[in-house]
Amino acid sequence: MKIADLEVSRRNGVIIARVVGEVDMSNADDLRAALAAAIPNDAVAMVLDLTGVEYLDSAGIRMMYQLTEDVQARRQRLQAVIPSESMVTDVLRLAGVTEYIGAVETVDEALALLEVR
Amino acid sequence: MPMDEESREARGPRLGVGQTVLAPGEPILAPSEQLGMLYQLSDPALSELGLEELLDELLDRVRDALDVDTVAILLLDRDTDELVARAARGIEEEVEQGVRIPIGQGFAGRIAAERVAIYIRDVDHADIMNPILREKGICSLLGVPLIVEGSLIGVLHVGSLVPRTFDQRDLGVLELAAARAAPGIERARLHSELQRQREVAVALQRSLLPGALPQVVGVETAARYLPARAGVGGDWYDVIALPRGLVGVAIGDVVGHGLPAAALMGRLRTALHSYALEGIGPGRTLELVHRFVQSIGGDAMATAAYGVFDPVTGKLRLSTAGHLPPVLISGGRATVIETTPAAPLGAFPYTSYAEQELALSGGEVLMLYTDGLVERRGEPLADGLGELIRVVRDARSAEDACARAMEHLASPEGLDDDVAVVAVQNTVLTGELRLELPADPAVLSGLRHMLRRWLREKGADELTISEVTLAVNEACANAIGHAYPPGPARFELTASESAGELTISVRDRGSWRESREPDGGRGVRIIERAMSGVEVSRVHEGTEVLMRRKLGPR
Repeated sequence: MKIADLEVSRRNGVIIARVVGEVDMSNADDLRAALAAAIPNDAVAMVLDLTGVEYLDSAGIRMMYQLTEDVQARRQRLQAVIPSESMVTDVLRLAGVTEYIGAVETVDEALALLEVR
Repeated sequence: MPMDEESREARGPRLGVGQTVLAPGEPILAPSEQLGMLYQLSDPALSELGLEELLDELLDRVRDALDVDTVAILLLDRDTDELVARAARGIEEEVEQGVRIPIGQGFAGRIAAERVAIYIRDVDHADIMNPILREKGICSLLGVPLIVEGSLIGVLHVGSLVPRTFDQRDLGVLELAAARAAPGIERARLHSELQRQREVAVALQRSLLPGALPQVVGVETAARYLPARAGVGGDWYDVIALPRGLVGVAIGDVVGHGLPAAALMGRLRTALHSYALEGIGPGRTLELVHRFVQSIGGDAMATAAYGVFDPVTGKLRLSTAGHLPPVLISGGRATVIETTPAAPLGAFPYTSYAEQELALSGGEVLMLYTDGLVERRGEPLADGLGELIRVVRDARSAEDACARAMEHLASPEGLDDDVAVVAVQNTVLTGELRLELPADPAVLSGLRHMLRRWLREKGADELTISEVTLAVNEACANAIGHAYPPGPARFELTASESAGELTISVRDRGSWRESREPDGGRGVRIIERAMSGVEVSRVHEGTEVLMRRKLGPR
């Protein structure tokens, strides 16, 4: 059974990947593979929009780290979007990785940070 | 080798050396003991035999009656117009090698084509199609057609290893045997054909029904299917694990019987299953399946019921399409749930299916079933329903309910109609939460939904719910990730609350090793920060993670 959906769109050179649902050890690896495959070579960055994520655990955090490595190895950038009232904020805080993830509140903020609009 | 057309024409009634077409029907005088045996060929005991047994019995009696070395029966395969050796004495190789003889060719082929008896005193081996007859060194052959109601069904022939004159009396005996046995053979053949079709249909039906039911946290499900005595029908059931910890429960009954009904059942089950996976509600799902049935055309029609159960709220949304009402089992009582009347799937062009909401408290079981369980010929439906209610009211689980229904209502002599039953139970959730689950990452989502519900019932605030759920999820993920391969494994989660203090335990049968965590202990850090106390201890054959925290903020 699928517990998360992935919607991918593109704005100029940026891929906007929106994850909706739950991310845990049952789907983190598959999601990472799908996200990595969603970034074409000519894209400069990916915005990983977790606004629609209802649950994310340590497997999801690991997935974000690995995806960052995947993207950086291709000289591309990754910017996470996590609203402060999101459940994801709780897990980042408990895992002590909030600063490392460096998420912003909205997709527009992410695009501004990546200097594309 | 085919017979030479020209020489056959030239010889007229004489067919090769010593080959004679015999005219049946002449008065015969047969020894009484021969006839006595052959009369038994039509005895009632034989008609009860299966085809193989009947043929074996016939061969033995013919061999004894005529004192011959070989007897063989070849039956017509209508698909290929060939005679197929089905049973033999003295020339068993015919059957073992599956000898097939085209109609019109050779000894047996000509008997079949011309529907006459043929006698060959000195077998000219050039005229024999079947090499086995040659190899056996058969000298004389006598064969007759097997005819039922004007249709040829096969050939019966006898042979002698020494030259023998088969006279009119022998022919009479063989013809009598053929006449007596042919209807029985045809009956048995039709019966075994039906039997085979039934087996195919049952196998098909079983392959179209779900295998192991999905595990959904907080829900116990069980199901049964039993084919009818006379053949399969189009009954089906389904249990579908849906997003967000919901579970779909479906039952249906395609109008009609046999293979076509079973095949249509497979299509409808697949259609309903696919729509259900999309998270579409029960009413809309039935509407879409209805549309699918209509697209099939013909007189395709089915009754069905589909419910979506949410173990977190205990609510079950149900829609029915001309299907019998479900039964709710609760605390030693069983009641038939009143449903909104609606037409069967495929019955009328414009049909919509209303949804109704049922509440399933902890321990309660909802049971869906097909008419074969409660309908008895010549008895009012209410009697069947009343009996169902009586036998399932004390059921303690979904499994128990299915077992009781089948034990008491599915007659051991077989059913007139096939039967499907599926039951769903809300797992008891009073006080302590106790879940025993397979070590499969797929259970985590449902487990979290269940835990949140339990915490909410205990009065926990949203932050506590979020943090405790994270901690328990990590502990369970650890148990799953470290589970004891190979083979299926399980782990156990228990949660209790006393005076505002939560105690949650996750036990598995593996060993807890932080180094096995590929993320450098992030999961452990989450548990330690979310809970106020964590103890990891070796217990009998495994590991227990014991977590404590106040119900409110830490």
